[in-house]
Amino acid sequence: MVGEIENNDELLNVENLTVRFPVKRGGLFGGKSYLYAVDDISFSIKRGETLAIVGESGSGKTTAALAVARLVKAFKGKVQLGEFDFLNLQDEELRKARAKVQFIFQDPYASLNPRLRAEAIVREPLDSLEAGLPSGRQGRVDQLFKSVGLRPEQQRLFPHQFSGGQRQRIGIARALSTQPELIICDEPVSALDVAVQAQILNLLRRLQKEMDLTYLFISHDLGVVQHMCDSVAVMYMGKIVEHADRKSLFNNPLHPYTSALLSAVPSVDKKRREATKRILIPGDPPDPIDPPKGCRFANRCPVAQKICNEKEPPLQSVGVDHKVACHLVDERAKSPLA
Amino acid sequence: MMPLLKIDNLRIELTTRDGIAPVIDDLSLELGAGETLSFVGESGCGKSMTALGIMGLLPEKVGRIASGTVMFNGEDLAQASDARLREIRGNDISMIFQEPMTSLNPVFTIGEQIAEVLRRHQNLSNRAAWSKATELLDAVRIPNPKARVNDYPHQMSGGQRQRVMIAIALACEPKILIADEPTTALDVTVQAQIFDLLRDLGKQTGTATILITHDMGAVAEMAERMIVMYAGRKAEDGPVEQIIDHPRHPYTKGLISCVPHLMASLSDDRPELVEVSGIVPSLKSFGRDECLFASRCDRADDKCRSQRPPEMGFANNQNSACWHAGDV
Amino acid sequence: MSIEPIETARSPFAEAFEMFRKNHAAVAGLVLLFLIVLGGLLGPGIYPGDPFEMVWAPFTPPGEEGYLLGTDYLGRDLLSMLIYGARVSIAIGLAAAFLTVFIGITVGALAGFYGGLIEEILMRITEFFQVLPTLLFSMVIVALFGASLPMITLAIGLVSWPAVARITRSEFLRIRELEYVTAARACGVSNWKLMFKVILPNALPPIIVQAALMVGSAILFEAGLSFLGLTDPNIVSWGQIIGSNRPYILDASYTVTIPGVAIFLTVLAISLVGDGLNDALNPKLRQR
Repeated sequence: MVGEIENNDELLNVENLTVRFPVKRGGLFGGKSYLYAVDDISFSIKRGETLAIVGESGSGKTTAALAVARLVKAFKGKVQLGEFDFLNLQDEELRKARAKVQFIFQDPYASLNPRLRAEAIVREPLDSLEAGLPSGRQGRVDQLFKSVGLRPEQQRLFPHQFSGGQRQRIGIARALSTQPELIICDEPVSALDVAVQAQILNLLRRLQKEMDLTYLFISHDLGVVQHMCDSVAVMYMGKIVEHADRKSLFNNPLHPYTSALLSAVPSVDKKRREATKRILIPGDPPDPIDPPKGCRFANRCPVAQKICNEKEPPLQSVGVDHKVACHLVDERAKSPLA
Repeated sequence: MMPLLKIDNLRIELTTRDGIAPVIDDLSLELGAGETLSFVGESGCGKSMTALGIMGLLPEKVGRIASGTVMFNGEDLAQASDARLREIRGNDISMIFQEPMTSLNPVFTIGEQIAEVLRRHQNLSNRAAWSKATELLDAVRIPNPKARVNDYPHQMSGGQRQRVMIAIALACEPKILIADEPTTALDVTVQAQIFDLLRDLGKQTGTATILITHDMGAVAEMAERMIVMYAGRKAEDGPVEQIIDHPRHPYTKGLISCVPHLMASLSDDRPELVEVSGIVPSLKSFGRDECLFASRCDRADDKCRSQRPPEMGFANNQNSACWHAGDV
Repeated sequence: MSIEPIETARSPFAEAFEMFRKNHAAVAGLVLLFLIVLGGLLGPGIYPGDPFEMVWAPFTPPGEEGYLLGTDYLGRDLLSMLIYGARVSIAIGLAAAFLTVFIGITVGALAGFYGGLIEEILMRITEFFQVLPTLLFSMVIVALFGASLPMITLAIGLVSWPAVARITRSEFLRIRELEYVTAARACGVSNWKLMFKVILPNALPPIIVQAALMVGSAILFEAGLSFLGLTDPNIVSWGQIIGSNRPYILDASYTVTIPGVAIFLTVLAISLVGDGLNDALNPKLRQR
């Protein structure tokens, strides 16, 4: 059904997205300063594909996702979702567009309203976005329960009667209810037991194929990311430091931070353990309220040069589908750690 | 050589609303000095309960050691008095937990908290305890320990707090360190640092480590031997490498293959992950005379559903409690 | 699936009810409260008598001359007064609690949901009411605007709502960050609906407990005001019986003790029910 050309077009295009939070400085006259949780990032996702944003806590990956869905106010930037200029929509148009973007949350215990029955939770988006005719909504709920692998009689139950994995299935059904095109998955499996993770990841991939969904996948687990994504953006302190397709990023990481991140993942693969030299990044990230003027990773980078502390590296293309923000990487796309 | 810790036929019972459930059912293990042993399994399989049982920290009035022995240095901890267990905890066996945010007292400096342990267990003078505290901070690689010893917990990052916890745990040079998911709340780069630290300190001090985790990758990096727990029972145990290469229990196999691992080289094909359907059974069904994994296992037959499988031994002391262990 | 989930739908409130039922003290409290309310409602029908009528000699001790609880300093039948007073005391308790909860939820919900300047202003107002010397303030209101039932209720309500506002606000602050609220926002649910349809139902348990206890303390408060004479002399409430018989406490102690016991039992019953509700509605005490 999806043609070659259509498959190549971008569903989501984010430009210069910036989110800042006011931070109170002490004292009566202590002025306001701002913490830039997401600092001027741009990325895009092709229809039917998955972009993963990876990063550690405090990198701004979740804030970026929330800003894309207008659940956190963006300070500036543009989010183009299909034909919608999403950040500038109002009222009726916004409602229509919201149906196109849905969210899957991390914590299956906090993401479902404990006072509602499962069917009401799945139905809520349909009612509040007035998607489809009211008469057809029950049928849609039935169908969604089936597609996420829940039994019809479970519709009447309340969230606390489900296991973590089943709750996450309800969350997925809710996200699918309005027939969205983009689904933002914020750490959808990190709160689940490993065996249950596999069930949910397989479900997400199956649904993507069946419904031609586009995923923005937020995760800190590189194993999961590797399995789910078509391309990856690595964030560090509010910036995208590397953005590449799946194979280039995992087989040829260019930014020292990406390399360090990958080398830190423990693996069951003996070959990988022997081949990987752990790249230690000592210390902590600098104060996000007052970031350094050069590269934000410079103080922990094992190969930092003088220029790294002076000038901020821009995110530059260094090959087909591979961008990196590092002074030490040029068009030959060789890792500075090699 | 006599093992440092030898547990035989341990049974821990928990009183629940629905009656008494054996959360640890007939567990035996040995831990040698300096060795690292890992407990693996999903939540609710009894990994942490074993640790609490060894430490004598079972929830009061709810949990108790029903039978079996926990021999440590020739002494049975299952029979030891509360006073004796208090003496052993911190001195001979110590523990670090998952949540470094809540396991430090926020109103005391970290130096105070380390020194307190030293004063209590080793009768050090105040000054000696403080200087030892500074040394310990240095040992767990906290930069500038002389200044940081006066910091309060909230002034440190999660990784640093976990280092402080390790410093406290190692303050009295224990013989066994039990680490219960010590890095689950931490970022992966910090996790790697903590693992390095634990490994190095283990080598230096000869402390044996019990690592409780759900991450097979961590087990592969850290431990020599592992025990896979399922529903309060030992499903499989043996040398880590051997089990990862040739698991003899379907549950172990499932645990390894259901996780998308980073491999040495990434290819284009991404097969579906192997699913272990369903979830860990509820406490109600613990203790039944059957294979508790049968409901999630595609090899299960009538025998699995009617009789608890005995342990079957393989080379290098690998054991599997599965009726089909031979052909897994 | 290894374990079949419980196949009957059980709402969180159904489970709370189950918990409550197993709590013997709470059930006893509820039964006692039920009897007291029933007495207040049906009493006049079973035991007709005018509480203002002087029926016999003053200070007739309980049980004599056919007056089960005796008579007061004016010779009025104490039992009639007690029955009639039950209605007034409980009505004041309920009305004041309702007013408290209404103001408290409104202020707390707005402050907790919107935050920022709105929160600042509302919480300063709340603090203002909280630091007022409550008894003095209500005495002033009653003294200025007259000691009628609505005024007394209003006075009690005005000094009591800050506690509810604080609880509501803190619950709102907690719940508004939960992911199911974000999920509702992602579907474009309006602020009004978020506040009162999504967040409030989940914030209710501690508010309900507070409201239940509020009824008890309102009854006590009214008794206190009556004791000081700040009451409508044309009505009979338990506190007022105590207040008016106060000078004779040494000669005829039963005139004070009997209404005192009534107040004590009612407040005790309410506390037991409140505690039971607290246990039942607090999910931490429930096994997952």
